[in-house]
Amino acid sequence: MRIDIKLTGRLYNKIVRDLARPHPFAAERVGFVFGRVGLLADEGALILLTRYQAIPDDQYVDDLRVGARIGSKALTWAMQALYFGRATREGIFHIHMHRHKGETRMSRIDSGDIPKLMPGFQSVSNEAAHGIIILSLNHGSGWVWLPTRKEPIPADTMSVIGAPVGIFERRITK
Amino acid sequence: MSTDRFSRQSFLGAYAEDLISQCTIGLIGLGGGGSHIVQQLAHIGFQRYIIYDDDVVEESNLNRLIGARTVDVPASTQKLHIAKMTIYGLQPNASVKGFACKWQENPEPLRECQIVFGCVDSYKGREELEIACRRYLMHYIDIGMDVHGKERPVIGGQVILSSPGELCMRCMGFLTDEKLATEAGLYGGAGSRPQVVWPNGVLASTAVGLAVDIVTGWTQRSLSHAYMVYDGNQATISESITLRKLKIGTCPHFLDTDVGDPILVDL
Amino acid sequence: MEYPKEQTDELKPYCSKLSSFTEGGVTFLYLEGLRLPVGCDPQVCDGLLCPVPREGYPSRLYLLVQVKSPYTRHWNVSNARIGEKNWFAFSWKVELESPTLVQILVAHLTGFTREK
Repeated sequence: MRIDIKLTGRLYNKIVRDLARPHPFAAERVGFVFGRVGLLADEGALILLTRYQAIPDDQYVDDLRVGARIGSKALTWAMQALYFGRATREGIFHIHMHRHKGETRMSRIDSGDIPKLMPGFQSVSNEAAHGIIILSLNHGSGWVWLPTRKEPIPADTMSVIGAPVGIFERRITK
Repeated sequence: MSTDRFSRQSFLGAYAEDLISQCTIGLIGLGGGGSHIVQQLAHIGFQRYIIYDDDVVEESNLNRLIGARTVDVPASTQKLHIAKMTIYGLQPNASVKGFACKWQENPEPLRECQIVFGCVDSYKGREELEIACRRYLMHYIDIGMDVHGKERPVIGGQVILSSPGELCMRCMGFLTDEKLATEAGLYGGAGSRPQVVWPNGVLASTAVGLAVDIVTGWTQRSLSHAYMVYDGNQATISESITLRKLKIGTCPHFLDTDVGDPILVDL
Repeated sequence: MEYPKEQTDELKPYCSKLSSFTEGGVTFLYLEGLRLPVGCDPQVCDGLLCPVPREGYPSRLYLLVQVKSPYTRHWNVSNARIGEKNWFAFSWKVELESPTLVQILVAHLTGFTREK
């Protein structure tokens, strides 16, 4: 099954600007981006990202073991935003950036912690797709939990529809 | 493939070839305008195409359909076939998904594209394409030409770039309710419209230039929208006056959140 | 754009389900299972009501199929793509003074039952 992710250039630039800002104590920033699903040919899915929500500095938890940890207030906000967006089937994606060039993959901590959020997101909004997006300095990867699916599907491409266009293709198979 | 192949377009950037080859292009209409575009895209090195046209070659097309030959008329060759042969002749490894139908009859494949060229012959058709491109986040590049006036014919045309999150064809003053209403009133009575090859060539080349700029960024200008008007009598192409007088900053017609499959709100 | 609830409620008896969506700045009313006048084939069909000026008409009623009716109609919209579906509509101008939504709908449905 093919999964593509798309976002406008404006949204991408907004996200990158926010994630690149230094934080008082966290090594990296985290945000939430919302999106809707469109049908592709052969029952594929297209995730169309719509808006971004930065996490305020004071909603991070100081934890030296990880690059960034967000607190319960940020998660509560995310759940509420999901709840109110249920009627429009708007899903939520955890997004952060790895500071290197090239294709990204989930770090050991990413793959341990972030997927644990998905069942909660799905229970609040079970008709939307949710997931994880990790950007690098010049690439981006996504993992999508389609409605009712327990396991993620890696996105085949992420396209930034701006000028210039950015097309990030998945080449890493693991 | 020889590295000489694209050596003359190295000014587009070190990564231009990769960027161009990764991009998926949609093309609606493979007639006078679309056939020019397909040829140029193939020359430049685009590899991924999703193309639609439900028509066959007729005698009256031969004055302008790039790639069509005299034998294609009695053979009723599909315009889709002409386009595929043009592409494969230059890019044998290209991926071409071709549909001999109206795009509205099989719209899902188009959504994979990053850029869609609209070479249709109605305002309604353009409006529908733009809506689809906004919904599924694709740059929309529109071209069209017209010849009006009998006593002193005037050739006109346009190239428009409408991008998600940016000004649309209504914002730019091209699509209006009046034009759509007039066109709706003419349904079935529009007749054959004058069409010739050289304006199509000018418009197609301009449109392809826009696409290459969007993909490679070689001019380093951040194109958010474009509306260029072709004066075939003066042989000029220039920015539309409506753009210079534009007072709109943000498009009020398409919301950033109006994407994806339509959401029906129960009443 | 939101339509007054009292007016949208009046549409409900004409269909099995009523919803709305917005596209290109226009809010359409989707009448699922719209019941058409006697003599129409099919008798039930999804309809899309655009109660605001469009394509030179004060309002427009689109149908999911080209409906057969007792009188020949000029179907001047064929496979118009709205809301990711393809719609049909015949030429019928409804000119009323400040109509409610149901008045608009009924006036359009009358287009099936009147010769002109």
